[in-house]
Amino acid sequence: MSGRARRRPRSGAARLLLAAHSALLYLFLYAPIAVLAVFSFNASRQTAAWEGATLDWYRRLSADGLLGRALGNSLLVAAIATAAATALGTAAALGMARGGGRARRLTWGLLLLPVVLPEVVLGAALLSFFGAIGLRLSLSTVAIAHVVFSVSYAAVVVAARLAGLDPALEEAAADLGAGPWEAFRRVTLPLALPGILAAALLVFTLSIDDYVITSFVAGVGSTTLPLHVYSMLKVGVTPEVNAVSTLLLAGTVTLIAAAQVLLRPGSAKGSP
Amino acid sequence: MSAARRLLALASLPLFLIALGCGRGGRGQVNVYIWTNYLPDEVVADFERRTGLDAQIDTYASNEALLEKLQSGVADYDVVVPSDYMLKILGPQGLLHPLDAARLPHRSSLDPRFLNQRFDPGNRWSLPYLWGTTGIGYDRRKAGEVTSWGALFDPRHAGRILMLDDEREAFGAALRLDGRSINERDPRALERAAARLKAQKRLVRAYNSSDFANLLATGDVDLAQGYDGELAKVVAKDRGRLAYVVPREGGTLWIDNLAIPKNARHLAAAHAFIDYVLEPQVAARIVAGVRYASANRDALPLIPADVRADPAIYPPPAVLDRCELIEDLGATTTLVDRLWMEVKAQ
Repeated sequence: MSGRARRRPRSGAARLLLAAHSALLYLFLYAPIAVLAVFSFNASRQTAAWEGATLDWYRRLSADGLLGRALGNSLLVAAIATAAATALGTAAALGMARGGGRARRLTWGLLLLPVVLPEVVLGAALLSFFGAIGLRLSLSTVAIAHVVFSVSYAAVVVAARLAGLDPALEEAAADLGAGPWEAFRRVTLPLALPGILAAALLVFTLSIDDYVITSFVAGVGSTTLPLHVYSMLKVGVTPEVNAVSTLLLAGTVTLIAAAQVLLRPGSAKGSP
Repeated sequence: MSAARRLLALASLPLFLIALGCGRGGRGQVNVYIWTNYLPDEVVADFERRTGLDAQIDTYASNEALLEKLQSGVADYDVVVPSDYMLKILGPQGLLHPLDAARLPHRSSLDPRFLNQRFDPGNRWSLPYLWGTTGIGYDRRKAGEVTSWGALFDPRHAGRILMLDDEREAFGAALRLDGRSINERDPRALERAAARLKAQKRLVRAYNSSDFANLLATGDVDLAQGYDGELAKVVAKDRGRLAYVVPREGGTLWIDNLAIPKNARHLAAAHAFIDYVLEPQVAARIVAGVRYASANRDALPLIPADVRADPAIYPPPAVLDRCELIEDLGATTTLVDRLWMEVKAQ
């Protein structure tokens, strides 16, 4: 696409300005993250003064039982939320792509509500709902809450992908003798897969860093990483928090890089 | 195609995990909801070994978070650790279970000084766990020896002073300097304290309740009003330069207390846990681990000497006698709110 667009040649000064502007923008975006990572190796327990390099905070991290458990909880909840919300969101998006009429617009609107609802409202609503039905707060309630708020995001992402698909492909499969299930399995699903994986990544990210809703519905044994990091503030932030964040960052970047690699052939095949 | 099968497998994962989550907890259990860094890991492990109970530890960041959880009615905690003023809310709201003294033989180890407080007369709902003070952390070389709240109002330290961004603590310092109680309700005394704080404002570098210890350690300020626990940690790192003092006029005292929520399901285990942390040997290990003062008198001789002698953890008894708990001011709260706003807006 962009190959066909005509490019106006830029003057040297303009190019320099653009480069400077981009450099500043990226600095603005990434400098705090770089500082965070660098200070996770700081020998001082202060988060503002550099006193030499150490791996102490990472060692301390591996010895901190509560923090380890919180990380485990976060990963477990994120895995559950990713699987469940992506499955439900994909099903919803597929249904929406097929159905029509007023009912469709209404259900679609209802599905998207959690995206626009303030998190505090959703958190308080879930808490009073669990209270009303007498469901004790635990890791399960956290997982349920995460599925609730992330299903809409998953549906939107998958729906965007489906919107770009040619319905004729499925019809062609049917013409060639594929049943509905086979057509779905061998045509629609592979084509939608990049969208589904993107939805899964988004849900995972949303789940792993959610604080507000989680703080409402967390119960026994369900302190997640964000909850634990926040509760550490009472005794002051130590580079231990930087170390967790750095590890989390490294994990996320790896995950996204892996997804990019996985998606490349798929999206090339699927793009119209 | 394998895509479908992979997706199906992925979708069935949550059901499996939820089933796994429900199947936990065959043996006895006690669910503890407590401040961060309030219970060393090794103490928890020892409790589990000794009693055969599973201790599930979760942490919270504020008394208000604890209140919200207990009010929901579906939180499954067996032991909680509210601060003094929060007990005054939790008890009357019927959110706590009365303690059974017969199941807590080690309560006799506690220092009577911390028992029978106004926030829980007769210790019906709670027993004291850890406590601390508000005082001044300071740079010895820049500020000299500090003994009085007056140092925070001294023009010689202009621009090098940090005050807690907390109206009760700020007024507490000013009121103490006038020889008044932290819980003073006399409007004229409060107006005088406000005038002091207004005059002090041009000397103050920052009003900050979260990062005061760091700002002192990095040298951004020379004097910082602050809570002992965090100041004790930076002081311990740099004893030659930094120190903590509870001024001779006395400061604020806070007490965090062990209690059992109303709907706790493991009452026997909850009492067993509370009695366990009241054991002098255990209490001493907790103090050594978390570096907050314990309300346990019998634990004192068992606490490492350097911790016991640290005035940032255990202030001298004479000073402690002049410390007070912050109490609800009732109708006077509005006046203090307004005066504090005037100070901040000036």
